[in-house]
Amino acid sequence: MTPYRFTHLLVPVDGSEGADKALDCALSLCELVGASLTALAVEGKLPAYAASVGEVEEVKREKDDFFERVLERTKAEAGKRGMNISTDLIPGHAAEVITQYAKANGCDLIVIGHRGHFLGDYLLGSTADRVTHHAHCPVMVVR
Amino acid sequence: MEPVQLAAVLAAVVVLASMLSVELGISVALLELALGVVAGNVFGLDPNTDWLVFVANFASIVLTFLAGAEVDPDDFRARFGAAVGIGLVSFAGPFVVAGLVAYGLLDWTPKASLIAGTALSTTSLAVVYAVLVETGLNATRVGKLIMSACFVTDMATALALSAIFIKPNAWFPLFLAVSVALIVLLPKIAPWFFRRYGNRVIEPEIKLVFVCLFALMVVADAAKGHAVLPAFVLGLVMSRHYQRHRLEQERLRVVAFAFLTPFFFLRGGLNVSLGAVFANLGLLALLFGAKMVPKVSLILPLARRHVPRHANFTTLLMSTGLTFGTISSLYGLNAGIIDRTQFSLLVTVVVLSAIVPTAIAQRWFSPDVEEERMSDEQPAVRQPLPAGERA
Repeated sequence: MTPYRFTHLLVPVDGSEGADKALDCALSLCELVGASLTALAVEGKLPAYAASVGEVEEVKREKDDFFERVLERTKAEAGKRGMNISTDLIPGHAAEVITQYAKANGCDLIVIGHRGHFLGDYLLGSTADRVTHHAHCPVMVVR
Repeated sequence: MEPVQLAAVLAAVVVLASMLSVELGISVALLELALGVVAGNVFGLDPNTDWLVFVANFASIVLTFLAGAEVDPDDFRARFGAAVGIGLVSFAGPFVVAGLVAYGLLDWTPKASLIAGTALSTTSLAVVYAVLVETGLNATRVGKLIMSACFVTDMATALALSAIFIKPNAWFPLFLAVSVALIVLLPKIAPWFFRRYGNRVIEPEIKLVFVCLFALMVVADAAKGHAVLPAFVLGLVMSRHYQRHRLEQERLRVVAFAFLTPFFFLRGGLNVSLGAVFANLGLLALLFGAKMVPKVSLILPLARRHVPRHANFTTLLMSTGLTFGTISSLYGLNAGIIDRTQFSLLVTVVVLSAIVPTAIAQRWFSPDVEEERMSDEQPAVRQPLPAGERA
């Protein structure tokens, strides 16, 4: 068996406590193994079956603002520890985007919080569950 | 129940719908409609209280105006030919088929059949827009084509609703004159009015729009017509003004979504009889088919010609419906053209058409956004049909 060499870690961020812990863990791991780190924010669902374009635009704007702030905070956190981090913001369904992004960008470890802050995570099972099922690479779920 | 008691109960339902919308990520309109169904069927709330009928009618005109104002004229011009072709076919196919099915197979009256044709021929720009923005496709050529085609279908629906049921009388010339005058004058007056009176808490610019819409409703009513077409066109001619004054448009939306449109969708739901729906599941399936079959069979060949790689996705999104379908059905009910059972069936089909084709398009036919963006950046060349889609 050849030992794992982690060179590029992916940490999904959504502003939740779980994602913050995952970021903390991912930064520590990168310091340890000298890997690069990408923080990915997935701008989730817009109101399904909307009756007006205005309703969609408003939620989209709110999400844009929210996730830009989350990514700025993520960069600042990495900066405090003297590390560089690349960030990306992509619309779509979280688990699907995270697994596709990891594969397309050659990430070799996904570090993810065990539960986000959306009601769906509590009712339908967490994004972390789905990522562990579908990822092409190892996944570390942080509690 | 006293009017004020009904208002209090409905206000509580509106708050609940808003909270559920935020928590579940489902449109507030759909939840208002659904909670209206529950309130009507479980608690027996009266949907025909005068104030509720009035607010809901006005809300439908405001919604129509907003739908017109949300169109981007530049995007529409970019793929005019293809959008008109797909949009018109998307309207005409289900209009004819659903109308014939209602008249020939279900034995509905000619006017009720026309309402069925109109309600089931619609698309939903908002449902489509949410899917496109969520996937980032709204900025691509295929996304713009679909949105423009939706606009054409909406326009045709508004035209049908206004033209089919009009009974020209002595007031008709006045209705026409007021409509044309407002459509010509409002975009010219609006910039000056906004500079002079805009940006105030008392919102004179929103009041100006409301007085125009009320004027349209008054003359339409006198002419035994419907203000939906002039309201839609008025919104359309104001779209450039709103592009320059986004805040003004947002304030109008706030007023509409906070107070007006909830009562429109709630009233729609209150009028749905679950008993009638469950007792007529076969008819429901038939009407759903009368919308979906012509949409799919007529749009798909056109979509294959204009957007060969995304023909299925385009076709499914053009098969959605919600706001205009509900407006058409409620118009038919208010005018006594359709009864509560027919209304319940039509609204249920409209809601199903918002959900089913959208879910299928997102699950199985969603295009690759990155590929689309790269394709848009390349010089336009005619793309070959994929192997599976060649005739």
